[in-house]
Amino acid sequence: MHIKLKYLLVFILPAMLLYTVFIIYPLFDSLILSFFSWSGVGARTFVGLRNFRTIFSGSFGKELFNAFFNNVYFFLMLIVIELGLGFLIALMLASKIKGAGAFRVVTYIPNMIPLVLVGFMWGLFLNPQVGLVNQLLKLVGLGGWAQPWLGQSSTALTTIILVNVWRNLGFYVLVILAAILDISPELIEAAYIDGANNWKITWRIIFPLTFSTFRTLAILLFIWSFNIFDTVYALTGVQAGPYRSTDVLGTLFYRTAFGGLGSGAVDMGLGASVTVFIFAIVMPVSILYVYLVEKKQRSA
Amino acid sequence: MKKKLLLVAIAVLLVVSSFAGKVTIWSWRPQDAEVWQKVEAALKAQGHDITIEFTSYLATEYDSKVNLALQTGTGPDLVYSRRLPGGRTQVLIENGLYLPINDHVDLVNFPEASLKSVSWNDQVFGVPFAVQVVGIFYNKDYYDQFGLQEPTTWDELVANAAVIKKNGIDPFFISGKDAWTLTMQHAMAGVSVLGPEWIEALTNGETNFLDPKFTDLNKKLNDLKVYYQNGFMGNSTVDQDASFAFGQAAMVFYGIWGYQVWKDLNPDMNVGYFMVPTATADQKPYAYTYLDGAIALTSNVKNRADSIEILKFCATPEFGTIFAGVTYNIPAVSGATIPPNPLLEEVLEVYNNHASPFVYWVGSVFTTQKPSLYDDVLSPGMQEMYAGKLTPEGLSKMAQDAISQWYPPLMGK
Repeated sequence: MHIKLKYLLVFILPAMLLYTVFIIYPLFDSLILSFFSWSGVGARTFVGLRNFRTIFSGSFGKELFNAFFNNVYFFLMLIVIELGLGFLIALMLASKIKGAGAFRVVTYIPNMIPLVLVGFMWGLFLNPQVGLVNQLLKLVGLGGWAQPWLGQSSTALTTIILVNVWRNLGFYVLVILAAILDISPELIEAAYIDGANNWKITWRIIFPLTFSTFRTLAILLFIWSFNIFDTVYALTGVQAGPYRSTDVLGTLFYRTAFGGLGSGAVDMGLGASVTVFIFAIVMPVSILYVYLVEKKQRSA
Repeated sequence: MKKKLLLVAIAVLLVVSSFAGKVTIWSWRPQDAEVWQKVEAALKAQGHDITIEFTSYLATEYDSKVNLALQTGTGPDLVYSRRLPGGRTQVLIENGLYLPINDHVDLVNFPEASLKSVSWNDQVFGVPFAVQVVGIFYNKDYYDQFGLQEPTTWDELVANAAVIKKNGIDPFFISGKDAWTLTMQHAMAGVSVLGPEWIEALTNGETNFLDPKFTDLNKKLNDLKVYYQNGFMGNSTVDQDASFAFGQAAMVFYGIWGYQVWKDLNPDMNVGYFMVPTATADQKPYAYTYLDGAIALTSNVKNRADSIEILKFCATPEFGTIFAGVTYNIPAVSGATIPPNPLLEEVLEVYNNHASPFVYWVGSVFTTQKPSLYDDVLSPGMQEMYAGKLTPEGLSKMAQDAISQWYPPLMGK
């Protein structure tokens, strides 16, 4: 069917307009802003590449790379825990155990809780003296394991990641479950008839047939991991303590562009150069994601 | 037809009257909501038909919201403004987003020092509302119970802490998760232990952060951590308020603004105050005090006449009396009646007679650029030192390396 260009434009233009105003323009404005020094008010001062020199050197460079590696750690942990655990729970739900429906709902409930509330709740649960987590540990005789979870560099970031997993796991379970349920039951029945056990069916049939879903989720996780801000902000604040051990590129950007505490100067231009750095990391992976999705659609 | 016209006229009148006399105020201090209810009532009693709409935002998000709103014309009539010197307030003034008020408001009730913190180019940009005093607040009942006296030297403070600990009470409650409180702790100890003369010498570049005296202060604070509650690095100021108010800890390094919350939580609480003691008996102790901020007229003002009426009222002792009565804070305006309370009287006396003239936290030059001594050095640095990952010498070096990047008197030292 041939559609005239003018009709195509009529349908595409509103979306294009919105996309340009809210996505393309801010993106290019950030890029341009990264070459300026600007406090957020008044005139911008052109500084060339100075902002990029600043973010990659000296004490700022140290903070940038610390935040970057925390993002990498975030991503690796999420891949292992969210996809690994998500797969196991999805398998369990797909096997139609008793109460699977209820369990599916329960798994997804945290996803519906606003993040501010998640931060508040977990802030209370993780209180070193009276928090639920330490109290439970004491109750089961593991009082020695009770920790100031968010107050020490060795546990703070991992704790935030686990809170993130608690909140988002339901989404991954649902997506992986949908992929598992999409597998033709005849395939699995035939495998059973041929004498395959559950282990073999899982790793030789289910996992390979859901692999494209894992690949898509992994790429999305990568993008989200490098855009992470809200969970860290809700649990350890803009200072991303203790001593920047939970700092990620998102909180570093916020601190630089909008300031932390007190009346110190802020620099939106310097903040914009951090976002350009984040963009440079995320963009190639996003392109890969789009390529893979299109490839999948073509093959389908 | 006539009926319809009448209805339209009534509707228009209703809409107009709902906006008439309304003044919007934004703040980072939610505890001030009651103050503005009382101000509104007082103004109404004086015959001004003014309605005040007060909105508070999270302190960490407040400045960005004000910046954005004022530039897009969606800001309020009046805002709580941070003090000077400070990069954020300075740019708002320089770009005409805060308006000068000295031609409209009589500021005779304010001391020179307060006005200096809101003035630029011989113009005043806001009515100062509160001054803050920080120091060590303690549970008087525990001090009486254990036969302790307010310490006059650092060693006496440590000795008191030892006695309290021996009696099964946490001597200090520290909000280690809220890094700003650790900076405040360092700064309030600095004015007494190092003294204003040393801070003046630092500001002039006659000494620097590598001075053994600064490192010794770091060490004193680091050694004190054995008297903090278990897991203190995971606690926030919210935890601190509850623990101090209900007697789980005997002392806190904090500000007078905390008193309102403690009294709300436990009205029977008996709170005392002392300045951080000096290193030796021959030194004079000082208190860290600062002007909290001012109420500024914005360029977005829609109801100018009524906003100025409010500012005029804020410059009177009557406002100070309302403010102190609700918040237990010290009003910036002179002549106000402070609630009859020994703690407030003591803190006011300290503010008037023992304020350190030189400081290195709020209100100092060291927090006006990046890396800031507040955000980028002492906040993460104190956490790192308390966690045992940074030595007191390392904290001194961290401060010197950061500030010497941009502060000319300390460059190349």
